[in-house]
Amino acid sequence: MPRTRKQMLVDPLVDNNPITLQVLGICSALAVTSSLQVAFVMALAVIFVTGFSSMFISMIRNQIPGAIRIIVQMVIIASLVILVDQVLKAYAFEISKTLSVFVGLIITNCIVMGRAEAFAMKNPPVASFIDGVGNGLGYGLILMLVGVIRELFGAGSLFGVAIMPTVNNGGWYVPNGMLLLPPSAFFIIGLIIWAFRAWKPEQVENREYKIQAVEAH
Amino acid sequence: MGLRDFFDRIEPNFTRGGKYERYFPLYEMVESFLYTPKTVTTAAPHARAYIDMKRIMTYVVIATIPCIVVGMYNIGYQVNAAIGLHGAAGWRASLLGALGIGFDASNPLLNLIHGALYFLPVYIVTLVAGGICEVIFATVRRHEVNEGFLVTSMLYTLIMPPDVPLWQVALGIVFGVVIGKEVFGGTGKNFLNPALTGRAFLYFAYPAEMSGNTIWTPVDGFSGATALGLAAAEGYQALAAQGMDWTVAFLGRVQGSLGETSTLACLMGLAFLLITRIANYRMVIGCLAGMIAFSTLLNLIGSDTNPMFAMPWYWHLVVGGYAFGLAFMVTEPVSAAHTNMGRYIYGALIGFMVVMIRVINPAFPEGMMLAILFGNVFAPLIDYFVVQANIKRRARHHV
Amino acid sequence: MSEESRKKTPGGLVRRFAGMSPDSIPKTIFVAVSVCLVASMIVSAAAVTLRPKQEENRLRDKRVNILQVAGVYEPGIDVLAAFDAAFEPKVLELKTGTFTDRFDATGFDDQAAAEDPATSVVLTDDPAGIGRQARFVTIYLLRADDGTIDKVILPIHGYGLWSTLYGFIALEEDGNNIFGLQFYSHAETPGLGAEVDNPRWKSRWRGKKIADAEGTLAITVAKTAPPAGADHHIDALAGATLTTVGVDTLVRFWLGERGYRPFLDRLKAGDI
Repeated sequence: MPRTRKQMLVDPLVDNNPITLQVLGICSALAVTSSLQVAFVMALAVIFVTGFSSMFISMIRNQIPGAIRIIVQMVIIASLVILVDQVLKAYAFEISKTLSVFVGLIITNCIVMGRAEAFAMKNPPVASFIDGVGNGLGYGLILMLVGVIRELFGAGSLFGVAIMPTVNNGGWYVPNGMLLLPPSAFFIIGLIIWAFRAWKPEQVENREYKIQAVEAH
Repeated sequence: MGLRDFFDRIEPNFTRGGKYERYFPLYEMVESFLYTPKTVTTAAPHARAYIDMKRIMTYVVIATIPCIVVGMYNIGYQVNAAIGLHGAAGWRASLLGALGIGFDASNPLLNLIHGALYFLPVYIVTLVAGGICEVIFATVRRHEVNEGFLVTSMLYTLIMPPDVPLWQVALGIVFGVVIGKEVFGGTGKNFLNPALTGRAFLYFAYPAEMSGNTIWTPVDGFSGATALGLAAAEGYQALAAQGMDWTVAFLGRVQGSLGETSTLACLMGLAFLLITRIANYRMVIGCLAGMIAFSTLLNLIGSDTNPMFAMPWYWHLVVGGYAFGLAFMVTEPVSAAHTNMGRYIYGALIGFMVVMIRVINPAFPEGMMLAILFGNVFAPLIDYFVVQANIKRRARHHV
Repeated sequence: MSEESRKKTPGGLVRRFAGMSPDSIPKTIFVAVSVCLVASMIVSAAAVTLRPKQEENRLRDKRVNILQVAGVYEPGIDVLAAFDAAFEPKVLELKTGTFTDRFDATGFDDQAAAEDPATSVVLTDDPAGIGRQARFVTIYLLRADDGTIDKVILPIHGYGLWSTLYGFIALEEDGNNIFGLQFYSHAETPGLGAEVDNPRWKSRWRGKKIADAEGTLAITVAKTAPPAGADHHIDALAGATLTTVGVDTLVRFWLGERGYRPFLDRLKAGDI
């Protein structure tokens, strides 16, 4: 892959976004996007984990035996995730309470494993680090987009600051309760993918089937 | 035939190469609404039938007429009766007062007029908001605006609570049309019922107004619970204490959505659809059988803490949206199963789910909408297994 | 480094390993063990060094809730100091309504007490849906400057629609006026049941009375006011019937005979 470092960083934002193009890491995107603050911390955590796990894995990539490479990757990723979880519990307790189990579930986020296996095992540490950070950023970007929509229309606020005062608090905005429920993120991510592909038609996948033309006799 | 000439004159502007080529769907929509389409299939094979898409949709709209009339009458009756007890308020009351019509609940015509003042705003907003989406998609996607929307908009209106804010009506139908239908390619390609998709959106987005356990009658000082909310809390026997015996519920003089309260009207519509063979009787049989079997089973099991267990099947039939869903939603051909065996299973699944949700789920008093959407999602899977079973069976015969 | 010096250096063993094919068995074992060793060292180091801070956070979090329900919380105050200065934890025996010295109040673990058969009872008639009820609970007394009791903060919990709600109720010194109610842990529907966290709804609890003039438990959370009057009524949460029912039953359970009633009677009589 003859790519510059800048491309490695910027590509996953739109052109090769892990969520909208590769459709990875959806579960956590559903779970943590109902408030922007939580989504932001989650994005930071994922950026940290993808960046450093890719770097460490790349550093020892020539020593990792093929038979146990997935387990070695998992051990490194899991250690980093636990580290993040512990730090959050110590220094950002309120947020770690809302994130609860989802920080731990970064381990199972396909983006992290995907970058380790697809990129870090074949590339030098610095490039792997940048690639990891770039993919984390791409994930974070979508997370924040979804978070803005869900918090603004679901609770009338952004980062917990009231933008549209809700009826329950004496304002005028009737919040859309569905946006606070996880399934709404499915619709939003779907609509974002739709928008991305309308903007960049080259992202549209080829049909897996062929519509047969009716033969005129 | 001045109008025909007019259409013939302007048509070249809209056909390929014409000035307004992009807007052909708009032209086609108006033209084919007024006249029989001129286009015919040229390639064989031809299926011969007296019925086409447009006639199917028109028949369904005709079938809803009893529901519309009874629904409007019922709303007018409920509001007028409540006004008799609590006094009038709101723009409808002022309008009726200014026209000197009055609020006599014993006069059917007055009830009908008052009910229409609830029905029409919702219907008009539905038509405008949903219609705009339809036309935008038809224009961009270059397909024709389909008559199916007339059905969708009518069914959607009939399952709205009468006091629903109009902006919510618009939001719901837009969601239903876009997410429920257009993103999958438009009429005939949707796997969910668009009217129910819109209703479900509102149900989850604004549950305080929509979840179906509190009353809608929009007169201050009047509060209570809908039939299902009351039955869930105190048992169906408590309904009689509120002046609602089975006959009243069957005829539909109860609190509820715009057009789904009267089981009788729904069954009239269903009979019409069955006679014209637009509705497939297999799904109706399946849905009734599933509901009756499961509710009877629950009757036998019984429960000390949950009074809904004791509700017999003929009550399930008349309260909430069961009858309406059975007549117009379960039988909707596009989102249902397409194999004959599958149709029985599909109907039974819905009948089973509606009782399941009503009786056992604590959060939702009404389950018909969710049950039908659930059935919609499973329909392709049911078809798949039916087809596979058929293939296997035939393969055994031809070893 | 030249080929020559590589062979001679004492670090030859490491290099030999590094040069070994990664797929050989000794190398596989070596890599597995060393990765695990390094990873576990990092993880345990982080866990051990951060534990005190985390414990403090948990304690702080619970105390913030106590301060909030008692209406003395302001953002930015030193929570632990403010708590220690004003609040006195006491272990209460529910049945008798008296404080007990059997346990050390600062170290008493309410959760463990509710699970231990020696200190708890299984509820057969269980309206609040809590299963086991501890016989001893930690309550908190807020003393005024002259040493008299100003408020009592009582822990309560019970089942709502989807989850058990955990919270505190703060009462005035007369044991009848409610000062505030707050849940610190629940998983009710966002926008509906989760509105138990809405400050406007919580503020409706202030000044409500638990019992009527005859001393009968009269407090209710419901859509319509009970015959006992608005003084004993908190509005239901809009659209959240079952959470409302849950809160209603759990509050009535904990303030009733099997909850804090014996204690509150003694408080009213001035025996505390």
